[in-house]
Amino acid sequence: MTDRRRVNGPVGSTHPPVFENEPEQELGASKCLRTRAPTVTRKMYLKTGVTPSASGSAYLEIETSGKGSVSGLKLSCTVHGPRSLPRSTPFSPHIILSTHVKYAPFATKQRRGYLRDPTERDLGSHLETALRGAIIADRWPKSGVDIIISIVEGDQDREASKSQGGEAWDMMNALSGCITVASAALTDAGIDCVDTVAGGVAALVRDEGDDTTPRIVIDPIPSEHEQILAACCVAYLPDRDEITNLWFKGDLPASDMELYSQLVEKGIQASRNSNEVIVSSLRETVG
Amino acid sequence: MASTTQHALLSPAELAYLHASLSLTPPIRPDGRSATQFRPLAAETGILPGTNGSARICFADGTEAIVGVKAEVERTRRGDGGREDDGGELGGGGGGGGGLGSRLEGDFVEGLEGDFVEGLEGTVFLGAMLAEALLASGEFAKKLWINRRFHWKLYLDILLISPPLSYPLPLLSLTTHLALLATRLPRLKSEGDEDPFFDDDWAAAPYLYTRTKDGKATSRPPVSLLVMAVGNNIIFDPSKEELAVADVALAVSVGEETTKTDEEVDESSSSLGRNLRLLSVRTIDPPSRLTPPGVPNATNSAYGAAATTQKQPEARAAESEAVEGVWKAPRGGAKALVMAALVQKSLVRGGVADEVLDALDAVDLVA
Repeated sequence: MTDRRRVNGPVGSTHPPVFENEPEQELGASKCLRTRAPTVTRKMYLKTGVTPSASGSAYLEIETSGKGSVSGLKLSCTVHGPRSLPRSTPFSPHIILSTHVKYAPFATKQRRGYLRDPTERDLGSHLETALRGAIIADRWPKSGVDIIISIVEGDQDREASKSQGGEAWDMMNALSGCITVASAALTDAGIDCVDTVAGGVAALVRDEGDDTTPRIVIDPIPSEHEQILAACCVAYLPDRDEITNLWFKGDLPASDMELYSQLVEKGIQASRNSNEVIVSSLRETVG
Repeated sequence: MASTTQHALLSPAELAYLHASLSLTPPIRPDGRSATQFRPLAAETGILPGTNGSARICFADGTEAIVGVKAEVERTRRGDGGREDDGGELGGGGGGGGGLGSRLEGDFVEGLEGDFVEGLEGTVFLGAMLAEALLASGEFAKKLWINRRFHWKLYLDILLISPPLSYPLPLLSLTTHLALLATRLPRLKSEGDEDPFFDDDWAAAPYLYTRTKDGKATSRPPVSLLVMAVGNNIIFDPSKEELAVADVALAVSVGEETTKTDEEVDESSSSLGRNLRLLSVRTIDPPSRLTPPGVPNATNSAYGAAATTQKQPEARAAESEAVEGVWKAPRGGAKALVMAALVQKSLVRGGVADEVLDALDAVDLVA
């Protein structure tokens, strides 16, 4: 006997409606194009010592581009340690570094779970490589330090459709921010480093309209460009003129090594810019 | 990373000796190879009858890996906009004994699923690296497109059978390469956007990577090479002991260009050799940073140095100076020029990448 007193919902499962994009977006007229010069990075806000309970901490915010729907990268980093290891761990002549990068569940367009997913783990291992070169590890035998970064807000255009595939390139921007903020937090914690390491990204992009010559820009936003051909993220020590981590991804002909070196060179330039931010922020703290 | 590259148990003196011998010109490697020589390997394909493609590679030092490729038909989600190249999905993974599967869509890593038995960070790093190279050009995703409604989903299960005697990246990459070359997908009989219907004659199944009549592959999956620098030398395919004294180590993924694009088609050079493409470069955290430092005689009280009661200033002094022949873990990074040279050396025409691809060409492909 069916229930006739109430208005029941449909029996089977339902699908949420999927709307097509509005036509004017497809035209690309409203699409945000890069207005910065190719060698200018976005503005950055960096503050150290934001988390009192941690031995070192830093907060980094990168300026949003003009459009309202685009969020800027917001990162918070805490450093716990150096502290002694539990008794059960074997002897280590160096400090044991562990890095955790976690997107907040609400940081990106697609919700992330509470457990770290592989991209976050991958970011963590990149960050570890970048920092391990900078820390003077043999000054703390038998101790460990935890570096925990939470990405409060990802660097994403919420209106960009998924098919544009910007997510893979967003990882590079996130990594460069992670390196910069972790370096500031390490300094705040007073852990000896050979230099302040900073991250920078450069990309080989092809813009709409001019499909003849790809150009190299630093600090790219994937949604601002038609296509990203290659990108590289560099962790750089400016005083020693050394790279601790290099991550290149893309598709470049092997015959054109000049292009690759230029890309790395621009990445170094980008990381020099973020290093200036670290230095001035640390001066502010000291002074 | 720690568990995939278990630390070589070498004393500071051994490390210093190894570092010195690898810095000579030409470098003297413990196993007598030249700087650009790979370890000898035995390879076979088509070892697993239940898969679409499989391969096994065994290196001379005893490390061995098996890769099986399984394909499934999956419905393409409608919300994705129905773009043509949207359909490719790939499951990949690597693991020491434990399979982990990654699911990649288009050129976007959607998530790795599976149980990680050990070596969490290391396997994720390796898996991400292999997937990154595979998806760097959009070509691979296009191969998996069936029609607008369906696509192939490929599971790449990588099994490292042996204990990790060396950094497993080259082994896993080469095995994956061979397995993908040997992969065949059933021939499609249906047309258009109807439900896919396949030919059940396995002999008629085309290869995923198409090939010419005489069995030459016209396109091929990428390979990842491990390169390291010691002193002024660039050394390929380092063993675990060699990696323990590396100044810098890079993993370079190389693909081969086959499709003629409108840009830069160099007719003259294509006849000479392969048109290699650089797909990805990653810095590998060299285990040398975690090695114990040696103590120079000057500060060693067992060799007559004045025993100091104040330890701290003494330790600082010892740490700052580098003594010839005493091992010290490298600190800081590498010069940009060194990194560029590493990449350049692996891509140079007629170089290691060419050699490896030629060697893999010689393997008989049985699906």
